[in-house]
Amino acid sequence: MNKTSTDLSPAEVTPGDEPLLAVDDLHVEFHTRAGTVRAVNGVSYTVGAGETLAVLGESGSGKSVTAQAIMGILDMPPAVIPHGEIRFKGTDLLKLSEEARTQVRGQRIAMIFQDALSALNPVFTVGWQISEMFRVHRGMSKSEAMKKAVELMDRVRIPAAKQRVHDYPHQFSGGMRQRIMIAMSIALDPEVLIADEPTTALDVTVQAQIMELLAELQRESQMGLILITHDLGVVADVADKIAVMYAGRIVENAPVYDIYKTPAHPYTKGLLDSIPRVDLKGQDLYAIKGLPPNLLDLPKGCSFHPRCPYRQDNCESTAPQLYEISGIRGSACHYWREVLDGERQQ
Amino acid sequence: MSNPTPPVGPGLPETQTLVPDTVTEPAKQRAGKQAKAARSASLWTDAWYDLRRRPMFIISMIIILILLIMSFWPSLFTSVDPYNARTCDLSTARQGPSPGHLFGRDNLGCDVYARTIYGARNSIVIGVFTTLITTLVGGLLGIVAGFRSGVVDTVSSRLTEIFFAIPPILGALLIAATFRGRANSIMLVIIALAVLGWPMTFRIMRAAVITAKNQDFVIAARALGAGAGRIMFRHLLPNSLAPVIVVATINLGTFIAAEAALSFLGVGVQSPDISWGLMIADARNRFLEASLPLVFPAVFLSITVLAFIMMGDAVRDALDPKLR
Repeated sequence: MNKTSTDLSPAEVTPGDEPLLAVDDLHVEFHTRAGTVRAVNGVSYTVGAGETLAVLGESGSGKSVTAQAIMGILDMPPAVIPHGEIRFKGTDLLKLSEEARTQVRGQRIAMIFQDALSALNPVFTVGWQISEMFRVHRGMSKSEAMKKAVELMDRVRIPAAKQRVHDYPHQFSGGMRQRIMIAMSIALDPEVLIADEPTTALDVTVQAQIMELLAELQRESQMGLILITHDLGVVADVADKIAVMYAGRIVENAPVYDIYKTPAHPYTKGLLDSIPRVDLKGQDLYAIKGLPPNLLDLPKGCSFHPRCPYRQDNCESTAPQLYEISGIRGSACHYWREVLDGERQQ
Repeated sequence: MSNPTPPVGPGLPETQTLVPDTVTEPAKQRAGKQAKAARSASLWTDAWYDLRRRPMFIISMIIILILLIMSFWPSLFTSVDPYNARTCDLSTARQGPSPGHLFGRDNLGCDVYARTIYGARNSIVIGVFTTLITTLVGGLLGIVAGFRSGVVDTVSSRLTEIFFAIPPILGALLIAATFRGRANSIMLVIIALAVLGWPMTFRIMRAAVITAKNQDFVIAARALGAGAGRIMFRHLLPNSLAPVIVVATINLGTFIAAEAALSFLGVGVQSPDISWGLMIADARNRFLEASLPLVFPAVFLSITVLAFIMMGDAVRDALDPKLR
């Protein structure tokens, strides 16, 4: 199921202009006993070197599944990728052999996880785990690798790194653990770093520190950063652009400033309206009505139409494409103009 | 404001970490010292720390140590060599305890004490080797089956079920009787017990691996470029080892008991080799005339089996505090 070259704009075909990582029309399905779960339905996004893309969406919107597909850590079966490409520097990762993908993992594209405690092996010291990256992939000796591990722990600002390198994951606080996870993931200087809700398990003050650290590491090494989150507050400061996902589709993508100022999709608008605001103290907090869609049985037409205040008749029959608003913005809503103008129907 | 609240904030560890350069040198040292004190806190060191304080573990460990010494250097305990036929004297058969022969003499006039001491070696050898083989074979297959799943898992799991369907003593009896005389009797007992014993270890290892496999750190290891072998032996194995070790320790005792049973039934260790089971079998016919030749090996056997099972229990408690 290759895309024909006519689907690609000429700029994308020339390898020179190929973005660092491009996800193109990716579909992921899970074949379960209850039926086919369509977790990702045609997601496309790109990340360039030194660029931060925030993928925003609620639970079950397919943001993590997309990331796992990029990493190639989906369990297949039950997962199936019936369609789509994931191009890293022009090569389609999905067509690579398992060995070739193992080479990409960790070395070219790395990932950090939400819960750093469970993402670290409980039976080895953190130093052992960080230095393992160097021993396995760089062929360093034990002592050399350990030295590099201490350097890395310093780099992610773990105090007394030299002593703490011999500690086990459970002896660290949540924020420190996430730093160790980050140290492991950047050990081999990956070109793309995927952070899957890196701050969700942390408290607010620590969240900011971790985000700051990620942003700083990214500035230093010019990696492409994909930040997966459901927290609008987390992304505002660090992201360059945002892709909002709903029911396995990207419903809006835009530079971060535009999204916050003028959302062009009713879902994004709903999300922004649901943020508590001090100036509206005492009023009821806005909430998007209804429930997230059942991925086993997606609504016909636009997946968001049952919850949408801008709904018209054709929303129930025709799924909107990602309309281009400007060169860098898109919205998958038939009525994005009305949303932009802020005229809520009903 | 009658009760001023103490200031909060500066004590937060996370706040400190933001500005590591401002952390004073003594504070750094203190942190280092704390880290050192709490340093050896892996599952195994924790378990060891816990074990050293358990009377049950200490008692069983002492018994096992004595048994080990007994099987390596039996001459430390007795000057009589029971493998030398000249130490037996038929005219003193079934004599009661006497100064040189504390446990009396058996049907053939041999010293029961010396034979009991020398019997430890075969029990320990058979117990240890059977456990090693079952743990290695069952453990390795268990990791692969649990990790690979699919066909490999299905085939090996069904295979273990076939072995589970065989009554253990009957199965071992069958194997030992069939190959009797073709191999060293001790080796035969080890093989017979190992063939029937590995599925247990397999199942436990497989279950532990399947649990560990779905944990985040395995997925994270994959995401950071670890290959299948590395994931199996660096990430899955150490995290699945605890239950296997517990079962292995308990099984060791069970295998020793099984060896005695096989020897008692006449298909295990063969004379002139010495085994507690064999001694019990020999003494059984004249039990009413002379009970000591049966009682002593039986007591040693019970104590040995008990010691290993006790140690297994203690190890389990130490490795899985939730079960306490």
